[in-house]
Amino acid sequence: MPAFKNTDELNAVMELLWGTIKDDPGMSSKLIASKLVVRFVYREPEGRLTVDCSDGKTMLVSTGDTSNKPIIEMFMKADVAHEFWLGKVNVPVAILSGKIVSKGPTPKALALLPVIKPAFPMYLDIYETAKKKIASCAE
Amino acid sequence: MNPFMFHTPSRIYFGEETSLTAPDLMREIGGSKVLIITDDVLVKTGLMAPIIDAFKNDGNFEVTVFSDVPPDSDVKCVGSATAVGRGQGCDCILSIGGGSVLDTAKAVAICLTFGGNLEEYQGLNNLSTKLLPHIAIPTTSGTGSEVSMVAMIKDSAERKKLLFGSRFIAPDTAILDPKLLVTLPPKLTAATGLDAVTHAIEAFTSLSTVSVFTDVLCIEALKLLFKWLPIATKSGDDLDARANTLVASTMAGIAFTNTGVGVVHALAHATGGEFGTHHGMTNSVFLPHGMSFNMDAAGDRYAEIARQLKFTENSNNEIAAKTLIDKVEELASSINLPRRLRDMGVPALDGQGVEDLANIASTDPAIMFNPKEATIEDIIGIYERAY
Repeated sequence: MPAFKNTDELNAVMELLWGTIKDDPGMSSKLIASKLVVRFVYREPEGRLTVDCSDGKTMLVSTGDTSNKPIIEMFMKADVAHEFWLGKVNVPVAILSGKIVSKGPTPKALALLPVIKPAFPMYLDIYETAKKKIASCAE
Repeated sequence: MNPFMFHTPSRIYFGEETSLTAPDLMREIGGSKVLIITDDVLVKTGLMAPIIDAFKNDGNFEVTVFSDVPPDSDVKCVGSATAVGRGQGCDCILSIGGGSVLDTAKAVAICLTFGGNLEEYQGLNNLSTKLLPHIAIPTTSGTGSEVSMVAMIKDSAERKKLLFGSRFIAPDTAILDPKLLVTLPPKLTAATGLDAVTHAIEAFTSLSTVSVFTDVLCIEALKLLFKWLPIATKSGDDLDARANTLVASTMAGIAFTNTGVGVVHALAHATGGEFGTHHGMTNSVFLPHGMSFNMDAAGDRYAEIARQLKFTENSNNEIAAKTLIDKVEELASSINLPRRLRDMGVPALDGQGVEDLANIASTDPAIMFNPKEATIEDIIGIYERAY
């Protein structure tokens, strides 16, 4: 069974996740210092999330189409993203096998993997909370 | 057993003077306006002439030669070669040379196929279709670039390396002609050979991505390299030695392009980028220190290599693993490779300088395949021990 029923659910989970990362100075300060603009492009269901740290001062998180040009784009199935945040994806294998596709200066993004690791243990709660919220809105 | 993916897109032809069959092989994979990418040294030594003549005499090819690839090629060189290829309407590529030439050709193939700016195509697995037909003929035994699915190109202006990784980047055909290597100087033979040794050892210990396929390639490559590299270095015209080291290098190339490498390569890339040291030579200095660092995670694997290569029959993994590290050190010393960074002309760095270099190494993609996590402090430690 897919981790996300539709784009709304995917967006809700990723917005809450990245909002949590943004509110954690331990993680956000290093992401902001990178000055990167990273766009995650998901499929099944489709979704786009952009993390914009380009001004080196703030971290802007947005879903859907945005005008800011990404420096790095990462493409993957939404299920792969879900497994990644659960800490179940072997990133080297996923990259070698093409489950995760990257466009742009990939080493810069890979260097940030350790920075976001503290979010892994938070993810399951975030996932369930966001899904419940979406479900209650739909009722 | 780990889940794994093993892939090798290149056809491999081996044999003395197989390079002269390049026109036949090119006809098989398509293209008639061939862009030959090489370096000036190979043209001057006359090594290129018979191959260029083979294409001209074939009667089916228009030949354009670009021979301005420097030892550590960059974006500017790719741009120049692309402009030449585009101007002549080239529809296939033949690359002959070391890793720099072959990586340049891969990048030119991307530009000629898709158009636009090379930087747009940085990334991993993001190329959507096959590139122009490309035959690669290595003239060193080390980089494995003739079969690898990656290319690294320096952006001199921005002082950074651009990484391209895709199964479409690997040349369609690799021609291994040992005769082309007989004039390779001893120092380059030794340094590129140790690069291949490093590929095989780091591939064998990339624990998250190894497979039985890559294991076999690594072990056989190491058997050949430990036996034949000293002979190839001492007697450059020994065709058996050239043949065996060339084949071993390609085997190690297939292995590492499927597994990744590790902290030794990450440090060699960072040090080479900063001080212009030769890649294979730098690997040879870092290799024993990187292996010692990885001992607790990969000691069993080093021990397996040591036993497979019959360096020891000791069943104690730690002792067997240390034997392998000693053998690596012995091999490098026996072929007169420098054993310390300072011997390669790397200047002494202050604390901040070492930390900056360690930071660069820590963001090198190679490091994610290392068998254990290497912190900045760990990387500094390896660097200082190698200095």
